[in-house]
Amino acid sequence: MKIIILILSILSFAFSSQYTFLIKEYDKEIDLEAKIVAKIAKSSIKDEVRLFIPNISSMEKKVYSKYFTLGDSCKSSNFIFVKKADDSIKSCPKKDKLFFTNNYRKLLSDKKFYGAFFWNKSRPNIVFIRKRLDINHIKLPESYAQFVESFNEK
Amino acid sequence: MRILLLTFFLFSSLFSDTLESLLHEYETTTKNSLQTIDEKMGHVYLYSKKDIQLMQYNKLSDILKELPLFTLNKNRFGVDNPSIAGSKTTTSGFFRFFINDHEISSVYTKSPFLAWGDIPLDFIDHIEIYYGESSFSLGGDSGVYFIRLYTKTPTKENGAELTSRISSSNSSSNGFTYASQLGNDWSYLAYFNNSNLKDDSTYKNKKLYNDSDRRYFYLDVQNDTTNINFGYADVKKDNFMGLSKDVVPNSGELTSKDYFLSVTKYFLRDKSIKGSLSIGRQERKYSETNDEEISLVPFAFSSYQDITEVYEDLEFTKLNAYLSKTFEYKNNNILAALSVEDKKYKVKNRTIVNANTLINVGQFNDFDEEKVSSFLLQDDYRIKDDLLLIGNVKFDQYKRSGFLSDSNSKLYRVGAIYTPYANFGLKSFYTRTTVPQLFSSIDFALPTNKNLKEQKYNFYTIEGVFTTEKSKLNLTYDHVEIEDFVYAASVGFINVDHKITTDGLIIDYEYNFSKDDKLKLNYYITSLSEIANNSKSGGYAKYMGKYNKFTYFTSLNYKSSFEYKGVHASNAFDFSLGTTYNISKNLSLSLKGENLLDKSTQSINVDAITKQYFTSKDYDRNVSLTLKWVF
Repeated sequence: MKIIILILSILSFAFSSQYTFLIKEYDKEIDLEAKIVAKIAKSSIKDEVRLFIPNISSMEKKVYSKYFTLGDSCKSSNFIFVKKADDSIKSCPKKDKLFFTNNYRKLLSDKKFYGAFFWNKSRPNIVFIRKRLDINHIKLPESYAQFVESFNEK
Repeated sequence: MRILLLTFFLFSSLFSDTLESLLHEYETTTKNSLQTIDEKMGHVYLYSKKDIQLMQYNKLSDILKELPLFTLNKNRFGVDNPSIAGSKTTTSGFFRFFINDHEISSVYTKSPFLAWGDIPLDFIDHIEIYYGESSFSLGGDSGVYFIRLYTKTPTKENGAELTSRISSSNSSSNGFTYASQLGNDWSYLAYFNNSNLKDDSTYKNKKLYNDSDRRYFYLDVQNDTTNINFGYADVKKDNFMGLSKDVVPNSGELTSKDYFLSVTKYFLRDKSIKGSLSIGRQERKYSETNDEEISLVPFAFSSYQDITEVYEDLEFTKLNAYLSKTFEYKNNNILAALSVEDKKYKVKNRTIVNANTLINVGQFNDFDEEKVSSFLLQDDYRIKDDLLLIGNVKFDQYKRSGFLSDSNSKLYRVGAIYTPYANFGLKSFYTRTTVPQLFSSIDFALPTNKNLKEQKYNFYTIEGVFTTEKSKLNLTYDHVEIEDFVYAASVGFINVDHKITTDGLIIDYEYNFSKDDKLKLNYYITSLSEIANNSKSGGYAKYMGKYNKFTYFTSLNYKSSFEYKGVHASNAFDFSLGTTYNISKNLSLSLKGENLLDKSTQSINVDAITKQYFTSKDYDRNVSLTLKWVF
């Protein structure tokens, strides 16, 4: 009997990718978002990435910590992903930090952000601003060229 | 060692994907629309964003007509109306319909179909249909089936979309969606639509008009903790058969203006407190003229036996407030909530012409306001990782104006979700609930006994799921017992004087050939302790897929034949197919053929002159062409 249960268990884990009932909080979207942000952060920073997300939710904390070391504050981190408005960011020193946002308008209006991961026309997009990459001495892999935009910034 | 392996696995999977492939996976995962499913609310059927796009579901009724255990009939006013298998219901007290957090069902009939039934799905992200009593979580009136429409998220649309549709029936629909993420944390989505629908048919070689002009406006303004929704629906339509005794009225018109404002706010860092407030108003006008007389149930036993004209101008208002708190205690997840609802029904004007005399008849009765206060408590207790027990209690207090007495209801439900293996799970509920009286059922109750009682439902359901890598098999069984069922008899609504029992079995199978190619099969069968006057079994087979710039689908919906009072309604075979050509990333053209065999479901109706029953088609064959431009 034990062997049958063991075989059934192995089979179920090996072959099941459809869900039966979603009884745990659904985190697949956040997980993919975290993967994308991790890829961007690790391509932008040579040292170990310490991520800070202002007003992070408990689920985001759980998922993002799989891919990042999470910082307690903006000051103690080197990659800041701003998803929600937070006043503490305004006073955070910009030195040795990269600021990334999920809002294209914020990217255009606030020069501290070097890139954004956002939706446009129902599709997810990533944009880096060339001049801000240069200012921050970031050299992204060549495959990222399609995501880099040049703006006439003073 | 395990942690090392896990870390290695995570990092290797992270760097094996390109950023572009991750973006693509992120987009397709989002289109699966799994983020809002609440398994504790009942047995759920999901229509994801991807399904809606691939299957070209253009309006809500496209989805409802294929659902198991339902038949989507057309009532005498030419308005869609879902009926439970085996039974034709002219009102639908057991269904509740929501757009986001706001219930769009009419205060009068509990049906949303007059105003919202033909609502285009251009601005709808996904739809969840719960078979089960979800008011245990949502508050307000109880019900048995809950249909929840979720609008597209403004931040995920962030653009404009123009949709234009024409069809072989000379119907047209033009919609415009605009969504924008503002520079602060707010975003909004606005939707406008104008539709002209043609749906004429004949009875005894006379034309039955059912054309309608519809306009919709929807606005969703939101940030992380607040959602503000405003909705408006405006319809002006022919009255189809109306209340005419000879089925074909001389003329008639039905208009409705329906608007609401709903605000939902989450409090605390973990969003564990939710408060929502909504106000809604519907203005409904009805007029009919018929030389062969009009049948009005409230006057069935009065001296008004020669009614040739009827006019009414009604106004309904609704105020809802809901406050809930969720918290965790050991292995318990607890939801406690209070909800208050105030519904008012005002007759601004109601006149009839009887024997060429204009008479102001006013209200049919003095039941014109209902206040519902509810307290609900839900506890899901995780006994072990794979076993969840669910317990619900709900106390409803109904305070009613006029002759209809106040009442209190104590409702409860117990359930369990058991997932011993990743590919096998069981879910079961035992529910005791009620379905309250409606303004419309009291208005049109048997005139000698308007004091209808609430319907009492006792039901047991069990669902089993088995999955493999590419497939999913669901079996759901239900046993329902109903006391005081409200039945639309020819002399008005009555409480059936005995217990009605029904059993149903739904088999649902899905096979995914790839991420974008899917086959879905469904079959259901029911038994009923009464004489059936509607289809009792049915099912569907549908296939949807994608190849290069094309998406395509084909489906066959089947509802079984039935016989009632000597009238035979044959099997319904709704065969549809369609394709979309994506000209560019932002421009697409879709062609869809519906009910190509012209064998739709049929509704049973009665001719009051001949006393003969007859069937009428619920919908026609239709071919439509849709242009969608995103910019």
